[in-house]
Amino acid sequence: MEHLAIPLLNGVVYGLLLFMVSAGLTLIFGMMGILNFAHASFYMLGAYFAYALQGAVGFWVAVAVSPLLVGAIGVLVERHVLRRVHRYGHAHELLVTFGLSFIIVELVKLFFGNYPVNYRVPADLDFAAFTLGGLDYPAYRLFMGIVAIGMFVAIYLLLSRTRVGIIVRSAIHRPEMAEALGHNVPRVFMGVFGVGAAMAGLAGAVAGAFYTTSPNMALELGVLVFVVVVIGGLGSLEGAMLASLLIGVVTSVAVGIDATPADLLVWLGAGDLAQDAAGILSLKISSLAASLPFALMLLVLLVRPSGLMGEKE
Amino acid sequence: MKTRAILLAAGVAVLAAVPLMLPDGLVNAAISMLIAALFACAYNLLCGYAGMLSFGHSAYFGVGAFATIHAMNALGGAGLLPTPWMPLVGAAGGLLAGLVAGWFSTQRTGAYFAMITLAIAELLHAMAPQLKSVFGGEAGISSMRMPAWGLTFGSTVEVYYLTLAWVLASLVLLYLLTRTPLGRLALGLRENSQRLRFLGYDVHRISVLIFALSGMFSGIAGGLQVLSNESANYVVFDTSLSAAVVLNTYIGGVHAFLGPALGAALVTFFGYAVSDLTQSWLLYQGALFVLVIIFMPTGLAGLLALAGRFVQRHGLRAAAPGAGLYLLAGACYAAAAIFLTELLQRLFSQDYRSLAQAAGAWEWPAVSLFGREWPPLGVTTWLVPATLAVLGWLFWKMAAAAVGRLRDAAPADRAPAAGAMTERRLT
Amino acid sequence: MKSHSVLNMALLPGLLCVSALAAAAPVKIALVETLSGPQASTGLTYRSAVRYAVDRINADGGWHGQPLELLEYDNQGGPAGAADKLKAAISDGAQLVVQGASSAIGGQITEDVRKWNLRNPGRELIYLNVGAEAQSLTGEKCQFYHFRVAGNAPMRVKALVAGMKQDGALGSRVYAINQNYSWGQDMEQAIVDAAASGGYQVVEKTLHDVGKIQDFSPYVNKIAAARADTVMTGNWGSDLLLLMKAARASGLKARFGTVYLDQPGNIANAGDVALGGYVAQAFNAEAAGEAGAAFVQDYQAKMGHAPTFIEPQTVFGVLLVGEALKHVPAGDGKLDVRKLALQLEQASLETPMGTLSMRAQDHQALLPLAVSVVSRDARYKADGTDLGFKPVKRFTAQEAAVPAQGTCRMQRPD
Repeated sequence: MEHLAIPLLNGVVYGLLLFMVSAGLTLIFGMMGILNFAHASFYMLGAYFAYALQGAVGFWVAVAVSPLLVGAIGVLVERHVLRRVHRYGHAHELLVTFGLSFIIVELVKLFFGNYPVNYRVPADLDFAAFTLGGLDYPAYRLFMGIVAIGMFVAIYLLLSRTRVGIIVRSAIHRPEMAEALGHNVPRVFMGVFGVGAAMAGLAGAVAGAFYTTSPNMALELGVLVFVVVVIGGLGSLEGAMLASLLIGVVTSVAVGIDATPADLLVWLGAGDLAQDAAGILSLKISSLAASLPFALMLLVLLVRPSGLMGEKE
Repeated sequence: MKTRAILLAAGVAVLAAVPLMLPDGLVNAAISMLIAALFACAYNLLCGYAGMLSFGHSAYFGVGAFATIHAMNALGGAGLLPTPWMPLVGAAGGLLAGLVAGWFSTQRTGAYFAMITLAIAELLHAMAPQLKSVFGGEAGISSMRMPAWGLTFGSTVEVYYLTLAWVLASLVLLYLLTRTPLGRLALGLRENSQRLRFLGYDVHRISVLIFALSGMFSGIAGGLQVLSNESANYVVFDTSLSAAVVLNTYIGGVHAFLGPALGAALVTFFGYAVSDLTQSWLLYQGALFVLVIIFMPTGLAGLLALAGRFVQRHGLRAAAPGAGLYLLAGACYAAAAIFLTELLQRLFSQDYRSLAQAAGAWEWPAVSLFGREWPPLGVTTWLVPATLAVLGWLFWKMAAAAVGRLRDAAPADRAPAAGAMTERRLT
Repeated sequence: MKSHSVLNMALLPGLLCVSALAAAAPVKIALVETLSGPQASTGLTYRSAVRYAVDRINADGGWHGQPLELLEYDNQGGPAGAADKLKAAISDGAQLVVQGASSAIGGQITEDVRKWNLRNPGRELIYLNVGAEAQSLTGEKCQFYHFRVAGNAPMRVKALVAGMKQDGALGSRVYAINQNYSWGQDMEQAIVDAAASGGYQVVEKTLHDVGKIQDFSPYVNKIAAARADTVMTGNWGSDLLLLMKAARASGLKARFGTVYLDQPGNIANAGDVALGGYVAQAFNAEAAGEAGAAFVQDYQAKMGHAPTFIEPQTVFGVLLVGEALKHVPAGDGKLDVRKLALQLEQASLETPMGTLSMRAQDHQALLPLAVSVVSRDARYKADGTDLGFKPVKRFTAQEAAVPAQGTCRMQRPD
């Protein structure tokens, strides 16, 4: 049981990190129909800003200010870039965010260099929270999990219990009506984009210290975030949470499984068949750990394309 | 109609004369450009004509590539077919993969379709390194072109003509395809698939066919690349290649048949030429992408068409100053941006920072750029890009004024604005 | 040293006519490296080292008074781009191609060079491999015109095992975790093969996806569950960093034996996590004594930073070519590449670490290695931190060498 507890816990925390980044993406898509390819770059910017500020104002202030900076950049991007291409259709919006992701990565490389930078967990958070199965569980992981859950609760409450939330939700479903009622829908969109970017920035600021902060951060996380959003349902916050946890746990647990699909067939009595059909079936599940999310995504898309919790088409 | 035919004939003649005019290195670049052009046009069949934005098109390019390399290695290295017919294997591979993937993907539309295609390509990319016998691990599979038809196919020139022949033939076939009823139905798919369904057509079947055909021509492009490089590597399944073809297509312009070819050729050449000049070429490429998408939504082909109409209306002599001023403005802005970027890149580089730290606060060493030394704290260093930017702004204003004057002088019938476009929405 | 310019390309047709009539063409070395994109950090490091080495050869007189010309090409990060730029380099007249950042690209280049040489006798070129350490390059893909002046997995593991054993840090249970591609698989095989001589048991072997894993804690769990004393890995870049950070965060007690711990940025980022980690290096400034110190100083003065990671091995490799060039007669002024290759396979050079020489059988260089441990007592600090690599054991080239692979059947030009 102990052996399963740690992978599960790790999977959950990793899933929560994924949630922090994909929450913004799914909200942006749900509201504006834009698949923001630059979203993972906001994650990276959050980490780099926190690193740059950390020297001057300390860890806590840096982690608080960095999402605000990234949110501001998000607002600027929406106002000056996305709004201009909005009328040309979704494909153009998508491509512009793709081009932006390139620009952001290259600018980061220009100013901070190609190598990973020295952004580390601060000393006062660098201890073991508890010991499980002979191994320490770092407190910082719990901190990341708490930040993610806090963010989820805050956004959820904001959307469902406040006036701003009602306006935002009405702008998703009936933008023309909301505008007719006098609400400034373009400003709502701008705000949502900014908040989404800020969430990704917060995720970067917090996670960059624990994982590496390097120009390749965006690439490493980028496609996985899309997988999460698709599986969870484009536009659904709860779906993003569920999907992130699912992916986090599956990847974590799969690493511990050294069995192969061939072994499963042996168990079912079809051992000889498995022997003959080499290739895919003899691959260890642990080696395939990083490919599993894509297989899941394909499955979801074919069986239930609106995602686990998205709205039915 | 006649001018178009003449232009096309001239274009083909120029392409045929390339090996006689350029050294081997550039001929090789031309081969890459041709292959990229074919891939982009194949992609446009699906994206521009049928309105289905696919994010994983590199899968069919890659399947065609690997099918070809295995065919080249077959029969103990002798090859399944004579070398000039090799791309047919690529076509078969691409067609098959397109049929299978298309059957699944086209069950959904819009963003979900795009995501399915992405998932298929990513899955292939993730599985490929595991299936060594098929995809060869990260060193890939290599092969050698066998002599055929009296030619050794050892030199770049021969490969170039082979590629040119295939690309031209494929483009002609693609164009003819758009003229067939199936091609017209593809347009219907883009505009209003619901109505097509009511008219009695099997929309799913049409979508799968178009997808498969697009995959087939992508497979030919993949086969051509394998013939040229004599190796196939699973990095071909990477999302960057899928993204590149989408970008090439939109930069060229989705509404003109040869638009994507133009975009692909220019972007490939840009990458080839500029990557050796500066480390920040990806930044320039990204900036150019964004600028083109924001300011030229119909792509370069659209821009050329607009310019053509403008010249037609106002005459070459009247239009020339405006066009010239726009070009000058663009050159000044570009010069300012390049200067600033290169300067910043050197200032922030690791080596310079350690030199600066050693030298002390006010004595930072000069940065060498474009053959001269620029002190980072000197006024001239920052004045140069600033002046260039201001000049660019001035020229832009003058150009806009010149064009405005022409427009006011012309009669009331106006050509449709460059920005308007009806495009199938993703949702 | 000159970089390839677009103006050059435009004027090339005219220049070609003129240059054909020109006298002695200088020796042209082409660097086809990853100078942009995600793996650019490594490629740029190779570029610094090659620039330094070429400048040094030219300062020494070049080839019969003719300076060597360095042309630089960006392979845009992939084998297809590398193939394109190789052809551009050939078209520009390069006689030697240098590359090292990726085994995949190395595989492409060595095959392309082999095919070109087959099809164009008299216009051969040499591929100087300064870093692609996959076994296949001196195994089934070995060819006469490929020379590897870097190490390979068995050499590194042999040295690492001996060094750690001497320090008493090896233990008897070793966990092998590597990246799932040719280099990682070579490392895994080498770790298993060295078990007998190292006196340890490989408790478990794991291969993971390259550059895709952010969270290594599941792997750390497996290591802990296997009760390993030592973790041996060929991981590089973020894969190594994240693995070590995850290990430290979980309080894993195992020691790390690595090959690429000295990659710039690792020590700065890992901090104390790296303390006690072992690495098999091709160059350690402290171990190389006075000659090493002089080399470090000269490099720092010319290139702005101290030589680390793959830079020293690259410099010495290119200098080895310079050594071989000295023995190639001037002839009619044009370099006979075949003669250079014949000289190169016999060449040897005195480096601050010891004698570097080329083994003619498979064109794998025999180079001295050092095993060092990350400690605060090191004389040379890394990445601006207070940590450095303290040498534990030095190996001469002979001691570090492993036999040539049986799969290499080199076809020699008569």
